[in-house]
Amino acid sequence: MAQNELKNQIRRLRFENSEMTQEQLADKVGVTRQTIIAIEAGKYAPSLPLAFKIARTFNVSVEQVFQYENAQT
Amino acid sequence: MNRAQKISLTMVITFSLGLFLGIILIVMRCFDVGVPKIAFLFPVFIAGSGGIISITCFKKDKGTITFDERDKLIEKNANLAGFGAVYLYVILMSFLPIGILGEEASIPVTWCPVLLIGAGFCQAFAQSIAILIQYGWRDKNGAK
Repeated sequence: MAQNELKNQIRRLRFENSEMTQEQLADKVGVTRQTIIAIEAGKYAPSLPLAFKIARTFNVSVEQVFQYENAQT
Repeated sequence: MNRAQKISLTMVITFSLGLFLGIILIVMRCFDVGVPKIAFLFPVFIAGSGGIISITCFKKDKGTITFDERDKLIEKNANLAGFGAVYLYVILMSFLPIGILGEEASIPVTWCPVLLIGAGFCQAFAQSIAILIQYGWRDKNGAK
């Protein structure tokens, strides 16, 4: 059975960007803190516009923030 | 826990309590304990109190952004769950009287508004459960 997983580097990128808090990132991209927590935990896959907003906040490409893994189990 | 979660949790608790009391009253009536019809309003009031508590007690969330794309998706899915539950409820309530009372039986017309109120409760209950499941019963990482 194929299992699709969207991994992300948000937590690492936040700490690399002067230890940005989840609240600060949420305010910058225009979502709630709960959504940032859900994205970080891999429980919610953000929309493309939100993914781009997050990437632009960290000045990196979307691929550097999100990695799509298609694992066969 | 955001406002939608608090409201949903309150609804689930009050509805469950109302349902539990309703079942107890029906069982008591079946055994001829002498339960007056007016007593059945009590579980309805308990169940309905969830809505009143939600409106009066839970104020708008703090912070500049209180609603985003995830909340919108959760709300959409919860509405679908509520609609599905009402659909099942209508199917069940259409056939259940025939199964219990038989084909030749009749039911009082006062059952119609009761079924309508039941459909409303069913929709709100399913919607609340769907919201709680989608947000997660308890947020990890300190989300409140």
